[in-house]
Amino acid sequence: MNDVVVALIGFVAALVLLLLNGVVLIYMLRKVLAFLHLRLGPMDNGPKGTLQTAFDVVKLLTKEDVTPANADKSMFFIAPIIVFVPSLMAYIILPFSDTLAIGHFDLGLLFVFAVLSIVPLGNLAAGWASNNKWSLIGAMRVVGAQITYEVPMLLAALPVVIMAGSMNMNDIVLAQSKIWFIVNIPAFVLFFVAGLIESGQTPFDLIEAESELVGGYATEYSAMRFGLLFLSEFSNLFIFSAMLVTLFFGGWHGGFGIIPAPVVFIIKTYIGIFVLMTIRGTLPRVRVDHLMSLGWKFLLPASIAWVLVTALVVKLAPAVFGGGA
Amino acid sequence: MRTYKKTWCRGLFKSMGIAYKNFFRKKITVQYPHERLELPERARWAVEMVLDEDGAHKCTTCLMCQKACPDFIIDITTSKAEDGTKMIDTWRYDIGACMMCGFCVESCNFGAIRMSHNYELARTDPSTLTVNLLENVPVAKPKPKAKPAAAKPAADGAAAKPVAKPADGDKTAVQPAEKVAPAGTQPAEAPAQTPVAEKPAEKVKAQDEVSVPDNESEKGGDV
Repeated sequence: MNDVVVALIGFVAALVLLLLNGVVLIYMLRKVLAFLHLRLGPMDNGPKGTLQTAFDVVKLLTKEDVTPANADKSMFFIAPIIVFVPSLMAYIILPFSDTLAIGHFDLGLLFVFAVLSIVPLGNLAAGWASNNKWSLIGAMRVVGAQITYEVPMLLAALPVVIMAGSMNMNDIVLAQSKIWFIVNIPAFVLFFVAGLIESGQTPFDLIEAESELVGGYATEYSAMRFGLLFLSEFSNLFIFSAMLVTLFFGGWHGGFGIIPAPVVFIIKTYIGIFVLMTIRGTLPRVRVDHLMSLGWKFLLPASIAWVLVTALVVKLAPAVFGGGA
Repeated sequence: MRTYKKTWCRGLFKSMGIAYKNFFRKKITVQYPHERLELPERARWAVEMVLDEDGAHKCTTCLMCQKACPDFIIDITTSKAEDGTKMIDTWRYDIGACMMCGFCVESCNFGAIRMSHNYELARTDPSTLTVNLLENVPVAKPKPKAKPAAAKPAADGAAAKPVAKPADGDKTAVQPAEKVAPAGTQPAEAPAQTPVAEKPAEKVKAQDEVSVPDNESEKGGDV
């Protein structure tokens, strides 16, 4: 009974966090992109336009929910949920502090990858069920990109696991109390590039590519079902940034005992999101075949090689430096 | 290959640097409905009547503007009242089709119309796209008194346009005007033309020297 209550509280907390993140991130994205373009972004509703997203949510909720006539109705209905639920589940293992996380378990890192690998399934379902060529092309691109980049992403996270000696997110953070794993720069770069593609950020946003594919797999969606797809995208962005912070930037470390750990974690995550958004506002889109060849021909071998190198260094370092580390 | 890779990466970071610089630059957009930019002095927007200080218009219904209009959207209808005065029933044009070329203003021999700075022309009702500038008013008598009236705008600088334009128009539009202009305006032509052409004198001429040949060539093709 007690477990059920705790689980329920955790679920509600994750949901609230996800929704709040969505609202904040949409506003942030519009502002950041606008500032990069020398615009001001939303300014009218509320001070500096802060209420804009709230109005947008109300608009999305009250809009008509259109289902295309030739769509596969049941799949069309269930696809946004398949996309949304994994990104909600991934919130479970985010370590906001030493003790504050919805769940700690030993395969936490693996759990994130496992859960997030369900997302392309939902995307494919959405694209297929829409019965629309743009949706299907977008969905195919999602699946292609995600399958290609899940492997290097996982392999790029392995050096961190080797250095920390654990897959538990909390242990990984604790292992960074002296020095952040960003010292392993190649692993960071590999993880960053792979993660950019996983989260569908702009240099690799072929999955949406609004100038080519209208809206990718979300083309035929409207109202709150579109909202769910949209929200899961933003929550994936948050998860990716949180993973970056956890794996490479010391998680909740770095508050100097003044700032509470969860706040440090959130601030770091948001800085990461800011960087991702500026990349989105700056770099042009990569062509789809370049994306594939980058994944298979460069990132995959490079990440495998780097896992070996890191393993070697971690094994040899105690021998060279006399049993320390 | 190696140099290509190197340049590629440098471009990436360079562009990110430019983006971050832009992030902190002053924003260049204007919050439009709340603040507006000042239009350039010679911006051309909706056509409007030039009214003198008594509120009287200067249109003589010579129909030069109607002929100059490349879109054929100016519609001037006249009639004779019982007492014999010539009335302008309507002076209207279709603002939806107007492309703000300003030919009507250039062709006007009396400085009766000008391009205003009213650029907020969006309508919610298509029937309001036809703009009535004059309705049921007597035709203006082109009198020599037009001289001081015309001189005034030139003095305050901002409206060099209405004076300069008739000067151009006179030169270029004389021949067609003699042929086609309605009888009512004919006698007025000489008096109105000469003073205006003389008075703006060298100042206006010098100012508009560049634009005059332009106008002539355009008009030549049009008329």
